[in-house]
Amino acid sequence: MADNILNYSLADFHYNDNADVLSPPDDFNEWINNPKVKEVFSFFEQELLDAPRVSTEILSNLDGKKRHIINLTSYNYLGLSTHPEVIQAAVEAVQKYGLSSSGAPLLSGTLDIHTELASKIAAFKQKEDCLLYSSGFGGNVGAIQGIMRKGDFLVMDEKCHRSLVDGGTLSGAKMLFFAHNDMDSLQMMLEKCKGKRVLVVVEGVYSMDGDLAKMPEIVEICEQYKAGIYIDEAHSTLMFGENGRGVAEHFGVEDKVGITFGTMSKSFGGVGGFVCANKSLIKYLKGYSSPWNFSCAPSPAVSGGLIKALEVATRDSSLRDKMWENTRFMKKSLLAMNLDLGDTESQVIPIIIGASGEKLLKYAAGMQTRGLFLQPVDFPAVPAHARRFRMSVSSQLTQAEMDETLNIIEDVIVKGEKS
Amino acid sequence: MTKEKIIEVISQNIIENLDDLENETIDPMKSMKDYGANSLDMIEVVSCSMRELNIKVPRAELADIETIDQLADKFLAFAEA
Repeated sequence: MADNILNYSLADFHYNDNADVLSPPDDFNEWINNPKVKEVFSFFEQELLDAPRVSTEILSNLDGKKRHIINLTSYNYLGLSTHPEVIQAAVEAVQKYGLSSSGAPLLSGTLDIHTELASKIAAFKQKEDCLLYSSGFGGNVGAIQGIMRKGDFLVMDEKCHRSLVDGGTLSGAKMLFFAHNDMDSLQMMLEKCKGKRVLVVVEGVYSMDGDLAKMPEIVEICEQYKAGIYIDEAHSTLMFGENGRGVAEHFGVEDKVGITFGTMSKSFGGVGGFVCANKSLIKYLKGYSSPWNFSCAPSPAVSGGLIKALEVATRDSSLRDKMWENTRFMKKSLLAMNLDLGDTESQVIPIIIGASGEKLLKYAAGMQTRGLFLQPVDFPAVPAHARRFRMSVSSQLTQAEMDETLNIIEDVIVKGEKS
Repeated sequence: MTKEKIIEVISQNIIENLDDLENETIDPMKSMKDYGANSLDMIEVVSCSMRELNIKVPRAELADIETIDQLADKFLAFAEA
């Protein structure tokens, strides 16, 4: 392993043959403690010393220095986590209810502000009811695990988030993966489970590529096969569609989508997840979705803040308009530099570097040293031939910050690729 | 270690990890997908086979492999290195 240590990744140490169950695999220890691998991992868990705004400060693991940076890695797309009205609402909620809900939602954890938030989210998403989860990951796991059973079929886009896959594994349903956004492949998978209970699972915006699910075609094929549709709008809620309801609204197919999921940690600026569907399915989920009925209900501060975040983001379109204006500018400028942005159609803009992990890390270090916090995304999170940076464009970006960002990218990545 | 032995181990793991293949003969020129494997099944088959053969090929080097035969070649090259 020592002569090709950087070819190994976290994908290679999942199985553990160590006789001591309290220890990781022996070769994992050898790998993770190798100086070259340590250098790779130094990019992770760097501390932010201030709020995750575009303009913030980090304690750099590269040289141990505090550094003021332009942060294009946090997914605070609309800047709501630090919006003054949202903070005020969170403060008022914590003053009234304290830090914790102190109970599972079924027994004692449901506060009036949870009911208000769920009801407002359901109305916003134009669904009959909504279930709130303390974690976005838990929401996807819980919804899939709560609905699907052994003998059922989940037909998922191969780029679906880990939370959806884990929910599928836990449910016991048979999982079939179709090639990303490939309608022939989707149809082929649906042929394999004709006559069964089938749920097709897609994402509004795919989180590592920024492209959109082909909803009009997906809806048409699912109707043909009588399959239900579950859409994860984690990276699209409050941003896509005329009213910000997401990619299903953008394509005008909301009434054809049975279950819509979203996170509270991205555009909403809080933390948690929600699932919206018809009343009877939500009622059923309350009995069978373990991350809901065996977790403490969401924190009062977060829930109070989220009610205000929804109001701020939907009372007019100014925040998402600004986010889109910034996204268009960044995309156009990056394309003018001949960078490979994949098929992005959203505020998630990948800059695809290719197969070289060493180049990826060299550029990441170069940009951070210049004041741009754009984190590398390496295999196995993305394919080994398409290692990348993933830029999250925010409404908070000023023109000066965008210009500086582009200068740094040109100096580090564009010039690096030419040398 | 021979290529035949490697193919035998991979084929056995395909049969054990996938549904309805008990009486199938695995054709090495096909891919695991042809036998109904999803990405999680493929990780399972590859991991079980590598453990049995006592080799460890980085996953990043398996990305372009399409057929069982190509996988066996990769395993063999690694075992001989």
